[in-house]
Amino acid sequence: MKKLSEEQLNGLQQDLDAIRDEVLADLGERDATYIRKIIRLHRTLEVGGRVMMPFGFIPPVFVAATASLGIAKILENMEIGHNVMHGQYDWMNDPALNSQTYEWDTVCTSESWRQTHNYEHHTYTNIIGKDRDYGYAVLRLSDDVKWHPGHLLQFVNYILLTVLFQWGVGVHELESEKIRRGELRWRDKLPFLKDFARKGGRQAFKDYVFFPLLTLPVAPVVLAGNVGANLIRNIWASTVIFCGHFTQDAETFTEEECEGESKGHWYLRQLSGSSNFTGGKWLHVLSGHLSYQVEHHVFPDLPAHRYPEISAKVQEVCKKYDIPYNTGSFAKQYGTVLSRIARFSLPDAVRTRLEQRGSGQLQAI
Amino acid sequence: MLARLTQTKALHWLGRQLLNRDDPAAWLDPLAGAINPMWVQEYTPARVERIMAETADTKTFVLKPASRWTGFDAGQHVNICTEIDGIRRTRTFSLSSSPELWHKQGLITLTIKRLPGGLVTNWLHDSLSEGDILGLADAFGEFLVPQPAKPVLFIAGGSGITPVLSQLETMAASHYPAPVTLLYFVRTGNDIIGREKLEAIAARYPGLNLNIIATHEGKEPRFLCDADLEAIDGLKEREAYLCGPKGLMDLATELLQQRGLAESQMHSTFFAPPAPAALDNDQLGGEVSFTRSSVNVGSEGDANLLEIAEAAGLKPRYGCRMGICHQCSCRKTSGTVVNRLTGKVSGPGEESVQLCVSVPRGPVQIDV
Repeated sequence: MKKLSEEQLNGLQQDLDAIRDEVLADLGERDATYIRKIIRLHRTLEVGGRVMMPFGFIPPVFVAATASLGIAKILENMEIGHNVMHGQYDWMNDPALNSQTYEWDTVCTSESWRQTHNYEHHTYTNIIGKDRDYGYAVLRLSDDVKWHPGHLLQFVNYILLTVLFQWGVGVHELESEKIRRGELRWRDKLPFLKDFARKGGRQAFKDYVFFPLLTLPVAPVVLAGNVGANLIRNIWASTVIFCGHFTQDAETFTEEECEGESKGHWYLRQLSGSSNFTGGKWLHVLSGHLSYQVEHHVFPDLPAHRYPEISAKVQEVCKKYDIPYNTGSFAKQYGTVLSRIARFSLPDAVRTRLEQRGSGQLQAI
Repeated sequence: MLARLTQTKALHWLGRQLLNRDDPAAWLDPLAGAINPMWVQEYTPARVERIMAETADTKTFVLKPASRWTGFDAGQHVNICTEIDGIRRTRTFSLSSSPELWHKQGLITLTIKRLPGGLVTNWLHDSLSEGDILGLADAFGEFLVPQPAKPVLFIAGGSGITPVLSQLETMAASHYPAPVTLLYFVRTGNDIIGREKLEAIAARYPGLNLNIIATHEGKEPRFLCDADLEAIDGLKEREAYLCGPKGLMDLATELLQQRGLAESQMHSTFFAPPAPAALDNDQLGGEVSFTRSSVNVGSEGDANLLEIAEAAGLKPRYGCRMGICHQCSCRKTSGTVVNRLTGKVSGPGEESVQLCVSVPRGPVQIDV
């Protein structure tokens, strides 16, 4: 991580706070109109998808219905649910958009998400051992974790995690790795498991039991479409999230270097540990503006549609303190994620030899 | 009835499973409301049918609530909500029409005075137009016509007349069988709210003794005095209803007590934010734990629970922020709080408190 003096860290904090204050002072009708427009679009797509689905025995209708429902779930999870739960719209005082009471359309309970994501991940971002989102306790993504032969198969694990992403996120708070290590007992996790079963059951009931049974003669079609919609959302959400912190140049941190850190240091860590990707307007909307992961990590509770507007200012601040601003095309960023997953599945000796050869080739060119 | 109830209960349960919210009926609101705002389910939508000027700074808004609204009793008030610059605002106003108008024509009226610097009252006066929609909650309040009938004395000041208008109209329509006196204090003759209505009621209902007193027309201000009360027949048997500025309410309470009226005979309702009671700051403050959020913070002095929660980064739901609308009501699981408005000290146990007017006295646990 870029080393900054105490004074520079204070300056960094003041500069970023100024950007934040400017947005806060300007919050109003425009933001309310934006999120309501997205919510209307979500409702339209979900109702449309559900209504079309029973006619899915006609192949083009099946594609349209599945895509419609899948995109609805993506919008609800990423641009609405995730952002509302960060408190981005609490200032509106609208009970339907309250961070503490909103419940989203995925297996993970909002309660659990606010704990593991809003608190743990956003506070301890990329601190190995404290940010359990770094590799989700399933993947080895840096040499901070000791290699063992099981890691050779981690690409398979990655595919499984992506395909079943909502269930992976749902059980994240179980901290199964700590149970395996004997640091926690199953009994400690009973309240969590109860909530998980209730919400997971509710989600499975809706998509895999209720709606198929409602249209019994075409139940298999509806079931297949609903599975497809969940799959679309799982793969997309997982991909976007992996691009946020596991790209080539996104840094990791140790607990020691973050002990008793100042707000300025926290800002620096958020800037260095996150990565953006570029794209068109709808790519950003469908990613819940997590394509502006850097801005999101610096200002998690500002309405996300504001990130594109403040991005230039954040980049200016980065330039001023010579902090790298990590961005690139979606394809390039995702490519480096896949490469990271593959490289760290190998023993360190093999990996370093490969990396040296790679950079040697580059030099030769 | 029972079949319908179980049916709605079952539907509600199903809705919760499918839509992940406790008010599944409101899930479609963003879409339904865009097509027709009267279809919104989260609150009862009410369309502004007509806006009439009462005085230079007071207007009466005639509203037509969606027919599912549960109605009200004369003298009650209601929370209305509206969005101003993207922020939901909730305020409480007295209903100034009689319940009969609601039953017969499906209409209600709110008579609202512009408060200097008031965000919502000024918006209602300047920006709300006929055809617009306001959100309505259920009516509430204990400022009710006595049942069975007893002699009544109303003492109203300024826009404090609004619940009394509703009551008088109701009493006149039912030929209320006991004497009724209204002492209505206004600054000048131009400030009389509901003048035509009052005169019409007095003309057709002989049981009403109407006495409108202008306080600021002579050289000296002319406030409520003991002579006003002395002139009232059988004062000691009357139920007294007070609504107006704090000065008038305090004065009336004192004079009525001197005349021997018991506290149980006196009814009052706030029509404007009452002035905070004097509290002994030394005893206030304490450790507040917001149990659901696992946040513990210390507080000092007369900071209320809403301010304390917000300072700790929490964002509980709120409305008027002055102890009227109950939007911020939460469960207190233990500890003692002092009500900022009344100075009343709570019990130590579990109860519902309004965050915006509750000041901790010692350690308090809140389910937020």
